[in-house]
Amino acid sequence: MSQVQTLDISPVGRVEGDLDVRVDIEDGVVTNAWTSAELFRGFEIILRDKDPQAGLVVTPRACGICGASHLTCAAWALDTAWGTEVPRNAIIARNLGQLAESLQSLPRHHYGLFMIDMCNKNYKNSPFYEEAVKRWAPFTGTNYEHGVTISGRPVEIYAMLGGQWPHSSFMVPGGVMCSPTLTDVTRSWGILEHFRTNWIESMWLGCSLERYEEIQTYDDFMAWLDEKPEHANSDLGMMWRMGCDIGLDKYGKGLDKFVSWGYLPHEEKYNKPTIGNRNQSIQMPSGVFDGATGTHKLMDQAKTREDVTHAWYDEGGGAKHPFDRTTQPISNNEHDFEKNYSWSTATVHEENGHLEAGPLARELIYGGDHMEDFQYKDGLVLDMYKKMGGANVLLRHFARMHEVKYIYRQIERCLRELRLDEPFYIKPKEQDGQGWGATEAIRGALCHWIEVEGGKIKNYQIIAPTTWNVGPRSAEEERGPIEEALIGTPIADPSDPVEVGHVARSYDSCLVCTVHAHDAKTGEELSRFKTS
Amino acid sequence: MANILWLQGGACSGNTMSFLNAEEPSACDLVTDFGMNILWQPSLGVELGDDVKNILTNCVSGETKLDIFVFEGSVVNAPNGTGEWNRFCGRPMKEWVRELCDAADFVVALGDCATWGGIPATAPNPSESQGLQFLKRENGGFLGGGFTSKAGLPVINIPGCPAHPDWVTQILVAIATGRAGDLALDEFQRPKTFFQSFTQTGCTRNMHFAYKVSTTEFGQRKGCLFYDLGCRGPMTHSPCNRILWNRVSSKTRAGMPCLGCTEPEFPFFDLAPGTVFKTQTVMGVPKDLPTGVDKKGYIKLTGAAKAAMPAWAEQDIFVV
Repeated sequence: MSQVQTLDISPVGRVEGDLDVRVDIEDGVVTNAWTSAELFRGFEIILRDKDPQAGLVVTPRACGICGASHLTCAAWALDTAWGTEVPRNAIIARNLGQLAESLQSLPRHHYGLFMIDMCNKNYKNSPFYEEAVKRWAPFTGTNYEHGVTISGRPVEIYAMLGGQWPHSSFMVPGGVMCSPTLTDVTRSWGILEHFRTNWIESMWLGCSLERYEEIQTYDDFMAWLDEKPEHANSDLGMMWRMGCDIGLDKYGKGLDKFVSWGYLPHEEKYNKPTIGNRNQSIQMPSGVFDGATGTHKLMDQAKTREDVTHAWYDEGGGAKHPFDRTTQPISNNEHDFEKNYSWSTATVHEENGHLEAGPLARELIYGGDHMEDFQYKDGLVLDMYKKMGGANVLLRHFARMHEVKYIYRQIERCLRELRLDEPFYIKPKEQDGQGWGATEAIRGALCHWIEVEGGKIKNYQIIAPTTWNVGPRSAEEERGPIEEALIGTPIADPSDPVEVGHVARSYDSCLVCTVHAHDAKTGEELSRFKTS
Repeated sequence: MANILWLQGGACSGNTMSFLNAEEPSACDLVTDFGMNILWQPSLGVELGDDVKNILTNCVSGETKLDIFVFEGSVVNAPNGTGEWNRFCGRPMKEWVRELCDAADFVVALGDCATWGGIPATAPNPSESQGLQFLKRENGGFLGGGFTSKAGLPVINIPGCPAHPDWVTQILVAIATGRAGDLALDEFQRPKTFFQSFTQTGCTRNMHFAYKVSTTEFGQRKGCLFYDLGCRGPMTHSPCNRILWNRVSSKTRAGMPCLGCTEPEFPFFDLAPGTVFKTQTVMGVPKDLPTGVDKKGYIKLTGAAKAAMPAWAEQDIFVV
């Protein structure tokens, strides 16, 4: 009879913010897991009673790597609350900002946060180990250095629109603050092409983007790997082959249920934005994919629930829509893994329970048939998922990097579609109202709800992708996505549990975005908001 | 060779993300060319769990020499001064911060949260956040006004939300190459080499400021953002229009008003209703005037400006 060894890993670094993980290990395999969000700042409390546009300044500071994504949500939330008209150029400029940030994050997360773990001494017997260290060792690896440094180039496009990255507030209700000129567009083209030539094609793919776009199925991908040494030896090829060699394709499955809000509103379909018409207006479709039944459906924000059973709050009455919560924090935030152990709530779908957010979710959803004709489709990752027997660490990260394909093409589209002699802003009328803004940050489904009353913010709620992913168990004792994904993870050396790191970092967790607001001193009830 | 330990408190990691945009030197150059040994950094460090704790305890005990301690994010004191709402390696981060500041030769507060308390410290400051040596404009903060590090300097404040990568890489290079003595700090302990001049210094809209031609709405291709859209450029100490952001830009160049983020009060007016992206005026005169300019002077200046204004100043200038 084997012993259960309990390992507390505090902190798990190379996620944004503070994540603690507890795992039970039996016979070298994780049999139970708890994830704990360890920092509280209280942004929604700070926003209460402030200027209606305060969220445009504050919410990007929820997260240094996803600031543009928060800004996108904050702007659309105000647009829907104020019933604005948003000109086509502004929609394109907002999309371009979101895309530039997403493109930056791909090499930055890949080399800076994720691939370092392939250099762990646990893998020194892998035939790929020597090359891995040469390429991906932190700070000194050849490809690490190149990838992290070039990751700064896409956000130069963001800086031309918003003045700087991180943290601009250039997206405002009614449009954008900027009015880019011809040289801004041509310079953006130059940056994009430089990034393509000097990273996407040369280092990442080892082939042209056009060749990569021909890959439609798992079998196509396997054929691509074998087709030329340049493919097998590219960073993508190496990552895949080494990942299989060290077993990243064997664990990290998770709950097998996924969510995406969809994003990138079409510039001619969301000019009079509302909460209700968003699903039909976005180019990348929203969805819920249930792996067990293999079915897709659209995602509806009204179905979002927050469950505080296992979090550091004391609120009765079960899971609620974020705007219906009366937030009552527990002052004593000691870990009690039977009861309350995290600042993150369990964010769930009313019908489906916990859902996984992120690039894997998006890509599986793009493989569906539940969307509008004009919306994006791509069946590759769904096919790989089926052929591999479901999700795993390697596929999750592959899906993330696969997005380079459409992110790149979408940026090209934005640069072509801007009409420089047309308006970028239509001054809105400030008014009371309720709004909702959403996007897909690189890490996954992100949204803000706002209520403006009497010329100030009455209520502001943020659900970040990592809130979906790092949430504790729900009332039904269903584990959160990352907790579930840790089950079955092999731990070769408990004193260096790198495998836990692989799983957590394959989710590209962002803890700083995750934690919510509570009025610590008075436990005062936040205002109520009923979604209709 | 300099040992650097970098931790995050009540942070968003924006300063780390900004730092990773650095070029000449890049973050990697600092390690490979300037002999910076980054002991641990939350977004980049290799180790996890107890291995991280060992690095910290070795710095505290002196077994590892700690040349530079960089802190990003606020010091979280909630609940009730215990700091338990920001735990790290099993204990309140603020306890690590106290010990590491005592152990380090140089202490660098990076970004507004670490320098002034920043956005988390905005009213009602639910996390009981402080900067390392200031809370907003008030000297003191977490360490107290009298604190000096082992090398005899107070906390070196590199403010900004976030800080520009050059502001931090060049200070690290200065310390690592023995030029810490050249670091002249202003009254807010900011390196003067960056923070003596104003956001307005080098702004592309200076001529429109001079002739009092206002950008009246967003999305226009002319005008100064100070008069109507709440720009704090004339009152804010920063090099944002001298050392460009992301090599190409600045907020005011792109038509976004300066928010004054390098100053201790950021975000200004606690974002009270009516203050965001709007210049607050009394009888047409802005409540916050350019630094050093009084109301009488402002009225004379703008009167003369309007009288002298050339016709071209009202035309689009940042054209396609």
